[in-house]
Amino acid sequence: MAKVKKVAFVAPRLAEGQAAGGAETLLFNLARRTAAEGLDVTFLTTCAVDHFTWKNERPAGSSRRDGLNVQCFPVNEDRRLERFSEIQARISRGVHVSAEEEAFWLEHNVNSRELLAHLQNAGEQYDRIILGPYLFGLIYHAALIHPKKSLLVPCLHDEPFAYLPSFSSLFNTVRGCLFNTEPERDLAEQLYDLPEGNPVVGMGIEDVDSSGIDSIRGRLGHTAPYVLYCGRREQMKGTPLLLDYVNLFRLRTGQDIRLVLTGSGPVNPPPELLPYVTDLGFVAEADKRAVMEGALAFIHPSLHESLSIVLLESWLAETPALVHSGGRVLRHQCLRANGGMWFGSYPEFEESLLVLAGQPQLRNTMGKSGREYVLREYSWQTVMQRLLDALEK
Amino acid sequence: MNEEPLFEIGADGVDAAEVVRAIHERVARKRAEGVYNDIRIAQAEKNNLDYLQNEETLADLYLETLRDAVYIDINDFAIHEQRRIAAPMLVGLKKTIWKLLKFYTYRLWSQQNQVNGLLLSAIENMEQRYRRKISELEKKVAELEKKNG
Repeated sequence: MAKVKKVAFVAPRLAEGQAAGGAETLLFNLARRTAAEGLDVTFLTTCAVDHFTWKNERPAGSSRRDGLNVQCFPVNEDRRLERFSEIQARISRGVHVSAEEEAFWLEHNVNSRELLAHLQNAGEQYDRIILGPYLFGLIYHAALIHPKKSLLVPCLHDEPFAYLPSFSSLFNTVRGCLFNTEPERDLAEQLYDLPEGNPVVGMGIEDVDSSGIDSIRGRLGHTAPYVLYCGRREQMKGTPLLLDYVNLFRLRTGQDIRLVLTGSGPVNPPPELLPYVTDLGFVAEADKRAVMEGALAFIHPSLHESLSIVLLESWLAETPALVHSGGRVLRHQCLRANGGMWFGSYPEFEESLLVLAGQPQLRNTMGKSGREYVLREYSWQTVMQRLLDALEK
Repeated sequence: MNEEPLFEIGADGVDAAEVVRAIHERVARKRAEGVYNDIRIAQAEKNNLDYLQNEETLADLYLETLRDAVYIDINDFAIHEQRRIAAPMLVGLKKTIWKLLKFYTYRLWSQQNQVNGLLLSAIENMEQRYRRKISELEKKVAELEKKNG
């Protein structure tokens, strides 16, 4: 007989529309699926939509969405952003900060007094509280209200913030963690000296229908072979590196392989690459699937991933991956799935892309292998079994 | 750049680790042949080095990039002229200027190459020494930890 009947999920934003990040999408989808299993699920979040401004744009209060009771609370508007940003910049450079500065940084991070008050006053009604990602003041404070009921979905990366003593204490105080991959769990065990046995849960990936490559040919503007990147375009994700490498690949090999991107953020290619880059921006799921199916390879140069939903989606489209070897999670996924290769330098990138472009059979086999891996490890049925087991533990 | 396929795909599918290992071997061979002695690679790797600044592999990549870019090519090269008008005359003029400059620049750049090579050797030597020292210290720490339970 299941002990856990009522569950709260806590995330800094509601994953709705195109602006949500991977962690918010993951938590919202886990909440939806948990409700579909017959549990009473409440989703607690803030009124913010934009992850830069954190302005309260949604109305506060309760509503029903996808079988969930969603409650939105305002983000604190009295944050002292100047000092917060100054401390944040120092932490991200790996500079030591004092305990007082660390507490200030957590206090003036994204927080919601009203959400925390709700957990303090009504938190007893929940059998489990699932929260993430770890990096937000809101999640830190919320997890410590009922730590024995709290399960953290950390979405942890090897980044300077992860080394703050507050997070070591957080990881060791909560009931447990639900990790996305084994390398993420290994990192947490190594950083925080955690006991073994925290489960890897992840997120189910749905097999969407493709709109077909012909439907997006017009927007691509060419019929040349192309490599694809999907997601946020920023230094942390490695997109400047990708642009430089693709440009140099074209110059050195003379092969007309183009670059296609979807997602948000500026793309600033070198001038000679500009005519060979197509930025599709945000695309519908069916179009994203089509552009993935048509790609020679899906390239993900990020070092900071705890799961990478787009990598798994590209495998469902039977497209092999090429990832940065410094990204432990992505390399681990390629290795387990036999669905892609990894590079640590430009020569390795060039050689890998030449192999992928020149050996269609290898490309197809890797793509198919990736798809089989996703269907085996990331079907909703498998993921929900892992989650339900973790809730009862 | 067309080469023999790296793999035959069997009925059991593909082993990604094996594919990557074979690619690394091919890269090592090409590196030894000087295929990557290209200043543009050093420029492109700048982004990678910035990106990897917290990674353990940084020193290895930095040294590899430095090895590929350390020697400046100071040999003669083919002189062309893209403008059609008076092309032979312009080519002749450029060749004369190159011959005049070569007298001075050859000495200058060969000295620069010597300096670059010495600096690379010094960095490699230092890196090996520190790596060895760190490894010895790690061994000692592990032994002490074992001793103290």
